[in-house]
This record gives sequence, C-alpha cells and structure tokens, in this order.
Amino acid sequence: MSFILKEDHELMRKTIREFAEKELAPRAREMDRTGEFPWDLVKKCAELNLMGITVAEKYGGVGGDLLTRAIAVEEVSRANATVGFTIGLSGQTECLEMLGTEEQKVKYLVPLAKGERIGGFCLTEPNAGSDASAVQTTAVRDGDSWVINGSKCFISNTGVSATYLVFAKTPNEPGVKGLSAFIIEKDTPGFTIGKLEEKMGFHASPTGELIFTDCRIPLENILGGMEKGLGKGMHVALKSLDLGRVCVASIANGIAQASLDAAVEYAKQRKTFGRPIAQHQQIAFYLAEMATRLEAARCLTYRAASLYDAGLRNGKEAAMAKYFAAETAVWCADRCIQIHGGYGYTKNFPAERFLRDARLLTIAEGTTEIQKMVISRYVIE
Amino acid sequence: MITLRVVACYKYVLDEQDLRVNPGDRSLSTDRAAWKISDFDRNAIEEAVRIKEKHGAVVFALTAGPAGAKASLKDALARGSDEGFFIQEESLAGADPAVTAKILARAIKKIGSCDLVLCGEGASDDYAQQVGPRVAVHLGWPAVTYAGKILLEGGVLKAERKLDDGTELVELELPAVVTVTGDINVPRIPSIKQLIGAGKKPVQTLTLADLGIEPGRVASSLRSESVKGAVVERKRHIFKGDTVEAVSQLVTALVKEGAI
Repeated sequence: MSFILKEDHELMRKTIREFAEKELAPRAREMDRTGEFPWDLVKKCAELNLMGITVAEKYGGVGGDLLTRAIAVEEVSRANATVGFTIGLSGQTECLEMLGTEEQKVKYLVPLAKGERIGGFCLTEPNAGSDASAVQTTAVRDGDSWVINGSKCFISNTGVSATYLVFAKTPNEPGVKGLSAFIIEKDTPGFTIGKLEEKMGFHASPTGELIFTDCRIPLENILGGMEKGLGKGMHVALKSLDLGRVCVASIANGIAQASLDAAVEYAKQRKTFGRPIAQHQQIAFYLAEMATRLEAARCLTYRAASLYDAGLRNGKEAAMAKYFAAETAVWCADRCIQIHGGYGYTKNFPAERFLRDARLLTIAEGTTEIQKMVISRYVIE
Repeated sequence: MITLRVVACYKYVLDEQDLRVNPGDRSLSTDRAAWKISDFDRNAIEEAVRIKEKHGAVVFALTAGPAGAKASLKDALARGSDEGFFIQEESLAGADPAVTAKILARAIKKIGSCDLVLCGEGASDDYAQQVGPRVAVHLGWPAVTYAGKILLEGGVLKAERKLDDGTELVELELPAVVTVTGDINVPRIPSIKQLIGAGKKPVQTLTLADLGIEPGRVASSLRSESVKGAVVERKRHIFKGDTVEAVSQLVTALVKEGAI
C-alpha cells in the first residue's frame, strides 16, 4: 500500500474540489435553513458522474475505484455535507449491482448510476436497526405477486426516491431463514410515505417512514430473482456495508476537514490579548490535534478503500474507518465551535452546522457501538 | 470534409493562491504551492474543444517544460483534448517567452497540418503576453490577440478583440494563432469519466533533439534578478462625522482619485 496518492487521484481531488467549492459550498447554509432537497445540485453531480463512480460502465457508471469515490465524497462533503450524503450513501445501487438480475440492473441500476433517479435503502424498522434480524416486515407470495406488509423508519431519501429497496421476511417460504430484498416503485398502491422526521442536521436530506399495507409487487421484483434472491437480502446488505462504511467515513472526513479549515481561518484573524488566537498555545494545540486525528481517519478510510479495490476483505478496516472518522468529525466540529467562542454557537458561522451534521454519522450505517462490535470480533477471532 | 486540426498551448504554473510572501524579505515561498494549468490557457483548451464540438476537429494539447510538467497532460486531456504533446526540457523551468515560443512553434510544425493555434492571452504567473504572438511569427501566420469571441465560417475566422479602448472585429483566413481572454468562455469542469478516460488518450513526449533544436540554443536571454511580493499601501482615510457628511466626503475623495 502506498501512503502517497497517485497523481490520478490527486487530479480527481483537485477537480472535484473546484466543482464543490464553486457549485455546492454556496448552497450549504440555505439548504440547512430551508430543508429543500437540492435536485439541481444532484443533476450537476450526475453530469460529473458522481452518482455512479464505482458502478460498471455498462450499467451507467464509470467503473472507477472505491478510493476515487472516497476522495470525491470527501471533497463534496467538505463543501456541502448533505450533497455528500446523497451521493455517498447509495445502498440500493450497491445491492442492485451485487445481486440484481440483468433485467433489474438495466431497469433500476442504470438510472441510479446516471443520477437520473434517487433510490432508498429500507432496512431499519421501529424495532430493528442495529439488530437487523428483528425485521418484522413480511413478503408473502400470492399468485404472481408478492404482498408486502409492515413499516420502515429513518429511511434516507424518503419521498425523493423513485425506487425503494425494502428488506422483508418471507415467513411462508419453506426453508428460507434470511431476509429478502424487494424493489418497490414509489407509486405502487398500498405503499404510503409516513411522517418525515425533523432532524438535528442534514435538513435537506429527507428522512422518514414508509408504510406498506397489502402492497402488491410483481414476483420478479425480488432482488436477484427467485432462485438467487430468496433469503439473500441480508447477506447482500451486509456486503454492501464494506463499501458503504467507507463512504460514510468519507462524509465524516469531509466535515472534519471543513471544521479544520473554518477553525484555522477564524483563529488566524480573531485577535485576543493583542494577537491572533492561533498564536495562543491552547488554540494552536486544538488545531494540531484536529489535523492529526483527521489525517489518521483519512488514512484508515483510504486503506479500507484500497483493500476493497484490491479485491481483499476490508470488513474490519471499513468498520474501523467508519467508527474513527465519524467520532473524529464530531470532535473536530465541536472544537471548531470552541475555537469560534460565542460566534461558533450562532448560525452566523458554519461550525454549529458541522456539529449537527457530523452527529448523525456516529449513528447511521451502523452505530459506533456496532462498529466496535464488528472490530472486536475480528480482533478476538 | 476536412477535419480541423487545432492546437491548444498551455503553461503549467504554480497556483498563485498557494504562494506565500515571507514577511521579512518579501521573498515568495513556493514550497507548498500546487501546480495548475494557467487560467487563460484553460480558456484556450475549452475554446478548442467547443470548436471540435461545433465543427469537428482534432484537438492537440501542447506544453513544454521540465519532467514534472508532464502530469498536467491528464488534466488537459480530461478537458476534452484528443492528444497530448509534451516537450520535455529541464532548462525550461526558467525559460523566457522567446525560447518557449520557438519550441512550441517547432512542435506545432511537428504535429503538422495545423489550422489553428489557441493560447491564453498571458500566463497566470508572469503574464508576459508574449508566447502567442511569437509563435505566430515563427510559424509565419497571422496573430489575433485578446480574442473575447471567435467564430469559424468556412476557412474564415472572425474574432472580437477586447482592447482597452473598445472592441475590434477582425476577419482572417486560417491558419492563424489566436490568444484568448478569460471572457471567451467558462471552462467546464471535467467529469470523473473524462478524468479516467484521459489516462487512455495518446501522449507523445518529445525532446528538443526530436524537434531539431540544439540544446545549447535554448539558453534564455532573460535573467530574473529576484521575485518579491508586492506591497500595496492602503490610504487609510477615515471619514468622520455623521453619515451624510461622511458619505459626501467619501464620494468627493473617490471622484478626486478618479475611481468614480
């Protein structure tokens, strides 16, 4: 493993940074205030292929590596974490590419990879989050349909997604233990959108509840088809985490970098006791510690991505990256507020938004505690 | 239909945003500065690609410099150029525009059958505005400088030159060398697909010997004594009194300075 990025990846970073600073950063504050989903920015991201970086070219992506995606998500999140979240978290895309049938890939994966549509990944339920095996939603075969009943909560992209990948039990299928995943289009009868959550951060990324009441979908909408897909949903969902956790870590690295940038800028111009506060040792040490923790988080993230790109197992490293980067983002955003003093607690500066956004990342895509559980299993084995 | 052959010349420069002026002797610290394609040269590449999209053309990205500058080709190719030409010469790090122009002109002849050469109006670092016109002299082609708009109709090029005291419209037949201003277009940001695809496009690396230039003949006649950060002294006028009075004083002062 090289600890120095190749020039291709550096050029990628430079290019995405230019785009993000010009197009995405100026909208971050307004999006936080209005909570409006940024369709126009998603379109611009799609034009730059940011929605399908790791998806194969034949399915509308560009066949790039995960390291490229990690860098892109980080740079986008540095400028605008909500857009970073939208392009970074794409569980449905990953699952479709891994398990989808050829027809499903053509019909559902291509528009997601091209950024023409947004997709939802629907695993969490009121009583099943970290403990995914406790899912209560059911899918029962009836003639040439599946009938879905149950509800999901805390689903990202609720209401803006065209398709939802819903994980459910199949209690009437003999011998099938695991969950299966079903592709449900937005206007399917029996499928309603419940309430949208009022969240602490990521205001422009809608999170909400999905309700399925005798919702009928065609038999072929089981992800992977009947033979390969039945009972394989959980397996593919877990596998998608090897990639998804690297992306969440990248969102966190972007927020941590934004926090560091803002803190450095402020500390250099704000004067107390006759000199810039950056020259006070306590503040300078905060900045040093922020930079060091961020660099460590970035190294973990790039390593987890590089292992994935080399076709090696990265379960432990992806969990480490996600855990450490998310906690680092929270810590850096918190120090950013502290360095800003009273101003940091106001909406006149972005520091408080960084903290509100970062705080989600220790929870979503597996909590910090779940990551530690995963890591500890590898360590104890 | 004959496909146009367009060359976009560019300089790989230090990003001026990364330069730091050392407070003591005002010398420039460049050790943390990243490299980039010079701003107006980006406009030249973009214009070449727009001509390709409109009329059909092969776009060659051309630069000359020490080995490190080769990395810039991927950026230039990702922006839509079809082929890259890199003239590698270590002594070019401090070359003067006369030397650069001579080398670029030879390279353009080597590329062969070119119809149009586009350059930025000047480089982001020294802004000497020399290379474009000098390349034209070496090639024996007409030069159009400071073009803010160009149109191709048949083999005729129409250009709007943005000058200090007005706009000049010129018409000429190709081949020609055109230097473009920053107003001519807004360079697109390459997509990930273009960035990945850039690595698959052909790049030719040539030496001075390949261009028939003896290494001894590129010695610069320009000597740089020193480079220092400029210090702009602020006037520090403070207009006191009530608002109406202060604004009135401010306006008077601005008129006196010729600012408004």
